[in-house]
Amino acid sequence: MSLPKALQSKEFRSTSLGALSERLIVLSLAACATITVLITIGIIYMLVSQSASFFASDAVTLGGFLTDTEWTALQSKELEKAKFGILPLLSGTLRVTAIAMLIALPLGLVTAIYLSEFASRRIRSWLKPTLEVIAGIPTVVLGYFAILVISPTLQFFADGFTTFNATSAGIAVGILCLPMVCSLSEDAMRAVPRALREGAYGLGCTPFETSIKVVVPAALSGIVSAFLLAFSRAIGETMVVALAAGTLPTLTVDPTQQAQTMTGFIVEMIKSESEYGTVQYFSLYGVAITLFLITFGMTLVGQIIRRRFQESYQ
Amino acid sequence: MPTALTNQDAQYLTNNAIRRKRMSRWFYGLCVAIAFVSVLILVVLLAAIWTQGQSRLTTDLLTRAHSELEIERSGMWPSIIGSLIVCFVCALAALPLGIATAVFLEEFKPTSKPLRFVHGFIQLNIANLAGVPSIVYGLLGLTVFVYMFNIFGQIKVNESPGWEIMGAEHYYQVMTLQPGHVVFVPQEDSSVPEIEITEPTIGVDNEGKQLELAVWEPGTPRPKDEATKRRTIEKGAIGGTITRRSWYYFRLPLDKSFLSGGLTLALVILPIIIIASQEALRAVSPSLREASMGIGATTWQTVRHVCLPAAVPGIMTGAILAMGRAIGEAAPILVVLGANVMKSGAPEHLMDNAVTMPVLIFNWAGRQQIEFQELAAAAIIVLLVVLLILNSTAIIIRQKVQKAHT
Repeated sequence: MSLPKALQSKEFRSTSLGALSERLIVLSLAACATITVLITIGIIYMLVSQSASFFASDAVTLGGFLTDTEWTALQSKELEKAKFGILPLLSGTLRVTAIAMLIALPLGLVTAIYLSEFASRRIRSWLKPTLEVIAGIPTVVLGYFAILVISPTLQFFADGFTTFNATSAGIAVGILCLPMVCSLSEDAMRAVPRALREGAYGLGCTPFETSIKVVVPAALSGIVSAFLLAFSRAIGETMVVALAAGTLPTLTVDPTQQAQTMTGFIVEMIKSESEYGTVQYFSLYGVAITLFLITFGMTLVGQIIRRRFQESYQ
Repeated sequence: MPTALTNQDAQYLTNNAIRRKRMSRWFYGLCVAIAFVSVLILVVLLAAIWTQGQSRLTTDLLTRAHSELEIERSGMWPSIIGSLIVCFVCALAALPLGIATAVFLEEFKPTSKPLRFVHGFIQLNIANLAGVPSIVYGLLGLTVFVYMFNIFGQIKVNESPGWEIMGAEHYYQVMTLQPGHVVFVPQEDSSVPEIEITEPTIGVDNEGKQLELAVWEPGTPRPKDEATKRRTIEKGAIGGTITRRSWYYFRLPLDKSFLSGGLTLALVILPIIIIASQEALRAVSPSLREASMGIGATTWQTVRHVCLPAAVPGIMTGAILAMGRAIGEAAPILVVLGANVMKSGAPEHLMDNAVTMPVLIFNWAGRQQIEFQELAAAAIIVLLVVLLILNSTAIIIRQKVQKAHT
């Protein structure tokens, strides 16, 4: 019996060349992966070096930056009169974020429970795409929606709302975060094995008790990291607040008033086309580094929670 | 019977059960109501924007540029072109980089401990990059691409600093004796901002044809012939510099060009593409890999001929969704390219500025005039239609794949 055709004409290429090219390919892929690390280094280097020119100025001190209650980088052109205290911007950001979370977290969580525990296949098949569509809406569209619909509605139902206010921006940011909270928590809940639910039903639990007392606690790490992600997303959200929250840095808790957020200030500064090199210009980077530290901290905490507290059911 | 069962109050138990069941029904009702809130929001949003903007959905909107004077006939043509070209640059930069990174992270998992640490670090780093606000990426793009850390000298008004690499020709623009007609004299020394013509020289005309320039001494008789007048310059005439840029005009730093914008957007969507591609690669069944390895393929050959083809639909879906994000992203573009929307057409050379749809919408929506508000709504409809087309492509791809697998 003769050998099979494939073995009759054996023509093996030199393998050393192949091994070399394999190595080169792996190296170039690794180089691509290192670029992501370079981006992080770039962000940190940029923020530190540029905000150094801000903090090095005589008009600014770190203590004043953290405790001053006024932020007038854009309002006052002379450097002597400008006040750089991050608190009003921070309070604006937190007001908008708090309202957004009041909307996004409960709504998102309940929708996620509904999707993973109760919804029939047919409802799922169109509710999920709807949420995906909302997630895909550009943020500037939501900002426009806040001015066009949410603000007038608020003014219609309650007195005291200005056209640009923290509440309407917060509601729009909440709509933005809702699909994210929902889909991430739903993923976490679907990962909870059936046996746990069956156990709960077997003990006589109602569907409500099963989902609230068994499924949600079992998926808690995923849900909490979804919340944290939504939180940092809301803090870093820009176009909605640039359009709908107003341009006045205020240090209050009143949600009916204007609220300039950190991102809103960055946009205003860019729009004003200030001269490159002034202290006012570099205050941009002082705000950006604060923003970055907060969101970076949130994501890190989220990662730690997910890694440390994740229950594994395998 | 056990005492625990004999001592039970039957009435209490029944009531308790009824209460718990009622609670459960209430909760179910609440769930349904809240789940439909999201649908309601979407419907209200679309309806409001449609009623506000439908009267402005004209051909003017699609073919004309933004205009302060003729608000009635303002349009978004430059922004459509700008969005497409910026997203093209973005895809060109982000897709290969993102897919390569995902392949490296998923398919070449190291075994040694220090390398495993590096691997985990890169993974963690990508997850963190995905959480960085897009406006910070905008500032990064501004510092890195627009100013390049000022390595090439600071950007100043009305001056082109840095290194012009190709595509730029500098001339002095000089008036001739024919009123309103200019000729150009090639610039030899770029540091001299002005030239004074004292002797005949070689120049070019508007079409780029070379001609010999004559000098007319005041006091001597003026030439009468028009053709001669067109190439005669008064002695002592001063010419300022002018730059002609070809389409391939390129220099460093990139300045506020669509290239900077596209590269910045690439930074924004890079983590999204990496994570989506990783998931697509993870979904490829390990048995395919094992079979390929079993017949003697190397890891890269396995990746190239087995894993990547199987993962391509998933990667494409992720990439299209990321592009949808890129088209809608306004903040980084606003920071890098500025809020200026005065642009009448497509970019003319590589270093030209561009306007994108979200920036134009932001500009229009922030204005007081009701006309601009309506224009913003109309532009939003156009943007949403583009996004809808992208998303439905992604869904079709996903459905095809699901069918192929079942």
